[in-house]
Amino acid sequence: MALSRKVGLLAGAKYKGGGPMLAWALHRISGLGIILFVTLHVIASFLTQQMGSDLGISINIFYESIYFQLFIVFCAIFHGVNGFRIIVLDIWPRLIRYQKESTWLEWFVILPLYLLTAFIMIRRFLAG
Amino acid sequence: MQVTLKIFRYNPEEDRKKHYDTFTLEAEPTDRVLDLLERIKGNQDGTLGFRRACAHGVCGSDAIRINGVNRLACKVLVQDLKTRQVVIEPILGLPVEKDLIVDMEPFFDHYRSVMPYFVNDDPPPAKERLQSPEERERFDDTTKCILCAACTTSCPSFWVNGKYVGPSAIVNAHRFIFDSRDQAAAERLEILNEQFGVYRCHTIFNCTDACPRDIQVTQAIGEIKKALAKGSLD
Repeated sequence: MALSRKVGLLAGAKYKGGGPMLAWALHRISGLGIILFVTLHVIASFLTQQMGSDLGISINIFYESIYFQLFIVFCAIFHGVNGFRIIVLDIWPRLIRYQKESTWLEWFVILPLYLLTAFIMIRRFLAG
Repeated sequence: MQVTLKIFRYNPEEDRKKHYDTFTLEAEPTDRVLDLLERIKGNQDGTLGFRRACAHGVCGSDAIRINGVNRLACKVLVQDLKTRQVVIEPILGLPVEKDLIVDMEPFFDHYRSVMPYFVNDDPPPAKERLQSPEERERFDDTTKCILCAACTTSCPSFWVNGKYVGPSAIVNAHRFIFDSRDQAAAERLEILNEQFGVYRCHTIFNCTDACPRDIQVTQAIGEIKKALAKGSLD
């Protein structure tokens, strides 16, 4: 009997697709991160404002922590810039020939934008 | 130089699970990975199963994963690998029948589903159906496909759902959709506009990188997406 066609997460992740595959995976992860943030925000607001529950405040403390905020800022910036890159390639398929260059260009935009934002956030956090 | 090959093994008559066997052999930098597999089969383990036919990058029989990426075994030289430790595995997303041999039938089912043949109901002209060089150029890139399945089996969308027609079928549809002499573009576009058609492509680009014929696979898919969105082939 033949082995199943199923491809596990580990087997898929081991495929060496390079930068574009990493960008695709990060697009999914960052999308999930944004959904998590919005969900937590809605739940915390509801619990705090409608129920007067302390659980809402606890969730607030979690998603307003510097670590979570740094993660969410990365998610938002990456998802936005990568999404823009995909839209451009979708509208002008002839540019797909330069997809590797477009991935590099994307990181040239994301990294300074993120590092500058993270620097300001961390400086404010350390200043109390 | 000495090269070590770690090869995926599965014998349906003996094994319940996959395992890896390691072979060490002498190789020249200009040897192809296919040469190494032939030498192992000839001198070390005659039970090793893999496909090959022309051995010159034309028939597309020997698509396998070499060090984690889809390639034709007959087109990769030892010196291109940049390492002496080589991991050889079957392509992903198709049932493994034995060692490096996969069942290609699901792949060919998708290929057949996009009507990969010329359709023109007009009476044939006396000599030939004429086409300008510009019209021929429009689909030149996608005529090069050799149906090796390297692109389709490198696609995470296909790994997740085998119903997705896959890059290769779309490339072969592109070859006829943009052929000015063909008359079935609308039917093919309708097929590719279905749930498991072109919109399963998430521009991951593994297919373009894996293609041994350097076809701009993702661009071809993008052109079909655009044709569907615009409702015209211009």
